[in-house]
Amino acid sequence: MKIALPRLGNIEVMNETIITDMGHELIEIPPNTKRTLDLGVRYAPEYCCLPLKIVLGNFLEALELGAEGLIMAGGWGPCRFGYYAQVQRDILLDLGYDFKMIIIEIPRGNWNMLWENLNILRNGRSWSYFINQFRLGWQKILLMEKLENMVLSVRPREKVRGVSSRILKESMLKIKKAKNREMLKQIETETIHKFDENTDFQKQNLIRIALVGEFYVSLEPFTNHHLEEKLGYMGIEVVRKNTIEAWIGPIMRLKIFKDSFKEEQEIEEAAYPYLAHSVGGEGQTTVGNVVLAHKEGLDGAIQVIPFTCMPEIVAETILKKVSEDLDFPTLTLIYDEQTGEEGLNTRVEAFVDLLKKRRKGVRMSV
Amino acid sequence: MKKKKVGIPYALYFYEYYPLWKEFLTRLGVEVVLSRPTNKSILDSGIRSSLSEICLPVKVFYGHVLSLVDQVDYILIPRMVCIEKGAFFCPKIIGLPDMVKSSLSSICPIISPVVDVRKSYGTWKNSLFQVGQLLTENTLAISRAISLSWENFQKNYVAHLLDPKVLRPASLIEGQDSINSKRQWEEKPINIAVVGHDYLIDDSYINLNLIEKLKRMKVNVLTPGMVHPAMVKKQLKKLYKPIFWSLSRKAVGAALYYFENGVEGIIHLTSFECGEDSMVGESIHHQSQKCPEVSYTEFVFDEHTGEAGINTRIEAFLDMIRRKKRIENSLAPSW
Ligand code: SF4
Ligand code: SF4
Repeated sequence: MKIALPRLGNIEVMNETIITDMGHELIEIPPNTKRTLDLGVRYAPEYCCLPLKIVLGNFLEALELGAEGLIMAGGWGPCRFGYYAQVQRDILLDLGYDFKMIIIEIPRGNWNMLWENLNILRNGRSWSYFINQFRLGWQKILLMEKLENMVLSVRPREKVRGVSSRILKESMLKIKKAKNREMLKQIETETIHKFDENTDFQKQNLIRIALVGEFYVSLEPFTNHHLEEKLGYMGIEVVRKNTIEAWIGPIMRLKIFKDSFKEEQEIEEAAYPYLAHSVGGEGQTTVGNVVLAHKEGLDGAIQVIPFTCMPEIVAETILKKVSEDLDFPTLTLIYDEQTGEEGLNTRVEAFVDLLKKRRKGVRMSV
Repeated sequence: MKKKKVGIPYALYFYEYYPLWKEFLTRLGVEVVLSRPTNKSILDSGIRSSLSEICLPVKVFYGHVLSLVDQVDYILIPRMVCIEKGAFFCPKIIGLPDMVKSSLSSICPIISPVVDVRKSYGTWKNSLFQVGQLLTENTLAISRAISLSWENFQKNYVAHLLDPKVLRPASLIEGQDSINSKRQWEEKPINIAVVGHDYLIDDSYINLNLIEKLKRMKVNVLTPGMVHPAMVKKQLKKLYKPIFWSLSRKAVGAALYYFENGVEGIIHLTSFECGEDSMVGESIHHQSQKCPEVSYTEFVFDEHTGEAGINTRIEAFLDMIRRKKRIENSLAPSW
């Protein structure tokens, strides 16, 4: 079957391992561009959230390239994500496409669908091979994520502008092709070495900003207008609070996820005085992470959210209070298809200026 | 001793659950203060005190809370999480007590029991009990108040469904087939189902008096509240994926029911910026494409929706239905 997986940051590193290696033909979805967004916006319900539109755009581009199977995650509320696959499927069927939506979600009662979908992916290969490849794919994502997190502190210190992004990109291509864990290990060592070579370790005490908010927008550079890079080039060290690991972790519940589970609890406890209950999505996590960022001595936090995002609007409302109580600056950036580069830059720059001034103020008073 | 006063903001889920809480609290000797129906000052204060990107119904809720703060000792804002297996409330409703607390600094104590029937502490009984304990020490009185008010709430709910006034629209629909002279067609009222969340349909200030307007134009208005829950459940089975929002279940189930049951039009009331509506609206829209004989439209409300705009939309919609009827009529064999 010709199969495609929607884009989300660098999640494509596992495409070959879980699709091509199973004997399927991989349809590489083109990178997210204005066209992806336009396609999605044209066919998606007007008021739905931005990630749905972009992923729909991904699917339309995949179908144009001949995809027959579309992989998508599912869920059961209370936020909208659980309906994405369903709504997208309806829209695409209405447009006359013939395809199979391969939805991976923890079933409610009926396990047949998950079973059937896993079997489509497995494509007659042995279960042990299938599971092994999935694990490898997962390792790739973890490594990619680790490198991406490192880049956040390398970028504001890089010796030549843009070099760290380039190194990351090269490593990403290598990870994609890697066949086993040993190769991954080697790529990791190499990349870290390269990062070190290009880092100016003299630069200390940079301003640090936590990046929190809705999962997709925070991790998808095209969607958030390359916010991490933008901040990096302004000399800011970004601390990413959302991770794919923590997101998919609970779904897989394998041994390696014990740690992220512990963190989850810590975040929840931090949020508790302000938001005592999970509200779906990353709502409570966002609040907890901002409280933790303050504790960790960061300078501020930026919350990125899609327009109309339900859990994040709850969080945004509450962050106003958190920020006041803790005297901790936060900035909320709301994204939709009309978000313009300039307005965004102005707001980010003003925020960074504010943080810089606060730093000076603190130093003077000491 | 002075009676304790508990305020109930008449907005959001209280359209459904007010009777239960009112009776329970009254039985405990508490004075219940219900906020006035939504009006301009309520709406304005709600808008002022909340983030602009929040949906209108939550803004209205803020306004109701503010209208009560000076009059009461406590304000009741339950945290509604889950009242049935497999479905939740919207994230904003789950987070409502925290949102209100964060945004409104000078506010009297909030009572926010958790209603989450999946958890033992969150069953209706335990939630009511916890609230009772805040107000009195007499646990026996609390238990009694719970069982009586719960019983009455259930009874009234069913009674409401069996109310002949409520059933009348359906019988009108059935009678329709026997009428086929052209004149009678023209005079016969049009049946229109208005679906959506209760707090949009029943709040005539937010929906700009839509229901009354329709009635004045000889429209027979049907709402989700008139469809038996069993019917709603049955209709929802048709969906590819079950709906996991309790409040939207009713709206969608009713819409699907009405598509099959001879109304001429369906209006889906939605709030701009409502996450649920944007998704379930799509499901209803899909169904409408399968039933071309039923006209379908969506009215989106926010604080900027104007009277004139809505009037035009209503007229255009009714015109469309009348035109359709006329065509159908002229095609019908005449003798
Ligand atoms: S978290 Fe927000 S953006 Fe993501 S699906 Fe839920 S409502 Fe939409
Ligand atoms: S269901 Fe919609 S209208 Fe109701 S509170 Fe949630 S977002 Fe607002």
